[in-house]
Amino acid sequence: MPDDVATPAGRRPGVFARAWAKAVSGTSYLPMTQAQLEEVLQRLTDRLAQALRADPFDLRIGQQVGAELVQSHIASAEGLGRTVEVIQLRLVRDLDLVVDDVEDRMARLLATVATGYARALRDRTLDEQESIRRAAMMARAHAERALRDSEARFRHQATHDPLTDLPNRTLFTERLTAAITTPGRGADRVGVCFLDLDRFKVVNDSLGHQVGDSLLVAVAQRLRRALGEHLVARLGGDEFVILVERTAGTDDAVKVAEAALDAVREPALVDGHELTVSASIGIVERPVSGTSPMELMRAADSTLHWAKAAGGARWSLFDPDRNRRELARYALSAAIPAALDRGEFYLDYQPLTSLRDGRVLGMEALVRWRHPELGVLRPDSFIPLAEETGLIVRLGSWVLAEACREAGTWSTTDADAPFVSVNLAVRQLHRPDLVPEVRGVLGRTGLAPDRLQLEITESTMMSTVVEPVRALRVLGDLGVRVAIDDFGTGYCNLAYLRDLPVNEMKVAGEFVTGLRAPAGDPGGRTDERILASLVSLAHALDLTVTAEGVETAHQAERLRAIGCDAGQGWHFGRPGPARQHLTHAPAA
Amino acid sequence: MQRPDWAPETIDIERPSVARMYDYYLGGSHNFAADRAAARAMVEAVPEAPLMAQANRAFLRRAVHYLAEAGVRQFLDIGSGIPTVGNVHEIAQRIDPESRVVYVDVDPVAVAHSQEILAGNERAVVVQEDLRRPEAILRHPDVTRLLDFSEPVAVMIVAVLHFVPDSDRPEEILRTLRAALTPGSHLVLSQASDDGRDDTGERAEAERVYRRTDSQLFIRGRAELTALFDGFELVDPGVVWVPQWRPDAPDQAENAERAVFMGGVGRLGA
Repeated sequence: MPDDVATPAGRRPGVFARAWAKAVSGTSYLPMTQAQLEEVLQRLTDRLAQALRADPFDLRIGQQVGAELVQSHIASAEGLGRTVEVIQLRLVRDLDLVVDDVEDRMARLLATVATGYARALRDRTLDEQESIRRAAMMARAHAERALRDSEARFRHQATHDPLTDLPNRTLFTERLTAAITTPGRGADRVGVCFLDLDRFKVVNDSLGHQVGDSLLVAVAQRLRRALGEHLVARLGGDEFVILVERTAGTDDAVKVAEAALDAVREPALVDGHELTVSASIGIVERPVSGTSPMELMRAADSTLHWAKAAGGARWSLFDPDRNRRELARYALSAAIPAALDRGEFYLDYQPLTSLRDGRVLGMEALVRWRHPELGVLRPDSFIPLAEETGLIVRLGSWVLAEACREAGTWSTTDADAPFVSVNLAVRQLHRPDLVPEVRGVLGRTGLAPDRLQLEITESTMMSTVVEPVRALRVLGDLGVRVAIDDFGTGYCNLAYLRDLPVNEMKVAGEFVTGLRAPAGDPGGRTDERILASLVSLAHALDLTVTAEGVETAHQAERLRAIGCDAGQGWHFGRPGPARQHLTHAPAA
Repeated sequence: MQRPDWAPETIDIERPSVARMYDYYLGGSHNFAADRAAARAMVEAVPEAPLMAQANRAFLRRAVHYLAEAGVRQFLDIGSGIPTVGNVHEIAQRIDPESRVVYVDVDPVAVAHSQEILAGNERAVVVQEDLRRPEAILRHPDVTRLLDFSEPVAVMIVAVLHFVPDSDRPEEILRTLRAALTPGSHLVLSQASDDGRDDTGERAEAERVYRRTDSQLFIRGRAELTALFDGFELVDPGVVWVPQWRPDAPDQAENAERAVFMGGVGRLGA
């Protein structure tokens, strides 16, 4: 109701209208000033007067007045009661009305006003009730929608990677499990492609994590675009995985992997850097029956590592035989600690024989594993894994101690007893307690330091870390011999020959092999020249030279002619127990 | 106290809502049985309850009228409740159709009802927020879209602050709102008060009734209310019983303390 309603006639409120206004104020909230209320009621007073006089009596006027009162928000039971009271008592008197049958007409007028008023109030109440119920329904619907939305959002957050918005491991595992446990018709095979970016760490390290993240987002978008129908998930880091459902055979999964590799390979413009990355993929594709999500994921993961090991930027297909071999190798390395405890390792020795007089100068200790089920194992079947897993440190310590112990027993009678040569792994060399360990072993076994030779490979020395160099110097000062193993096949850095306390150079067997070639073969001549140069280099540096892999008397003869100091190989003796070489007559 | 945004308020019409009780006091029918039962209990405890609501509503009407006449064209009505007769936008837009009004209420039913009433009115909107989160109100997209805080805004906190306990730091709520306002802006404030009234036990009884509803009652005196206008210059006659605030006719201010509500209008100076 407007604040500024004016009476149509613009008449000032009379005494009756003012009394009426006073009677109804406070009966309910009236959104207007007292003056405005009086104006409204003046207009209605005129209508009431008209109704009292009208002939014939017009029911509609009183009803309209009643309705208008409600519309003006004079809309309460009290409002009606006071209105009836004030009209009955004062209307005729205040307006000086002269009407026939006034009582009869007044009764009829009040009846029509009350009827119009009650009807309007009832309608208004019903309308308001309907509107508040509708509002409650809307609010409830809104709340439920908000709840559903938030549940959907929550579910999305729980199953998606926040960076790329790709499905995460949870969702992927759900879908993979569903594909395996409840395959649809014609879905009896399934494929999984594990994808990992090559050298992603370099991007992160050189350009920062922000660029790395943007690159991941770009890769995710492309994978999604290129492989639309297949589920692409991000497992974390730069690892993605693709689910290839309903495969007909391995080719289907390979095609997907190739599409993924192509998608990744396109150069990406990331934060102003044009980045070209490649990826490696491990593919597993097999019948759904008899497999499990865990098994598939694991197989795809190890297959990915084959692709990486092969140089990356390629896919590899799961190979059960290779997998079995790797698992066996893994199991073997895991068994090393228990085998050490049970004493399943022992040492064989191979002599290093003087080419001048055939005397056994030293013996290289070679570790053997007497495996309860697999028989005697050679080092190449377990040493590389022991090096990877770090178990080499414990195994190496055992070899060092055992070799020194045995060598101690060789020297009881002979002052010229041979030294023992022990291979030292990279990890052992980098341990800070190498020096105290060697010292301790020598102390416990009573072995003279110059009867211990430590063999390190060229690659061991490629790292120029200070600590190992210092450790070797300390050991050299103690009198321990240091030999460079496999010289000539790795990265021949001559600088360490200058800086390190090296006593001996062991030349790799490859060069010796050439000496077996018939005379006049150019390859053989080349090897002989290399050997001759190495020998003169070593001698110039005061190193002795031992040739490895000497298999024939002819080779031994050639080496002696070149000036090589010692030889090692089948010609001089196969690996075996120490005493076998100590008692043997020296080979010429 | 703050709900995570993914947990919507439940709509429980079995529980009395202060917004719908207020509508009942004003003679409206925008209420449910539970609201009417609570409101009747309130009337038994404090017979003036309907009078209080009406007097307060009349104060709101006079205050908006005053502000609109003073040139204010933007209104932020926090705790607007069920928008029945005599809304802010009806009064303000009659004086200037360009006037812009944002209603804020925490009651989802009140908000839904307001949405229905305001449908088609491009200069009035309702948002569901809590007075106790003034930052959220100020950065709500509908608030920033409709109101220009570089121009004067009237912030109305009418008949709602008595539902905010001191532990929710009403003075900080007001400080936050004030910081967003430019000089020439106004604060309209009213709430239940017992200043100068004999303690007849009504206060305890009223608070007991409101414990059944979705809101508790926290009554404050004149001094406390005046302190809440910190930073504003109080417009004459200051903080008074609401019928005494610029009445249309002198006789309306009689027995003003029976209205239970005190209120005032403050202006933010330069």
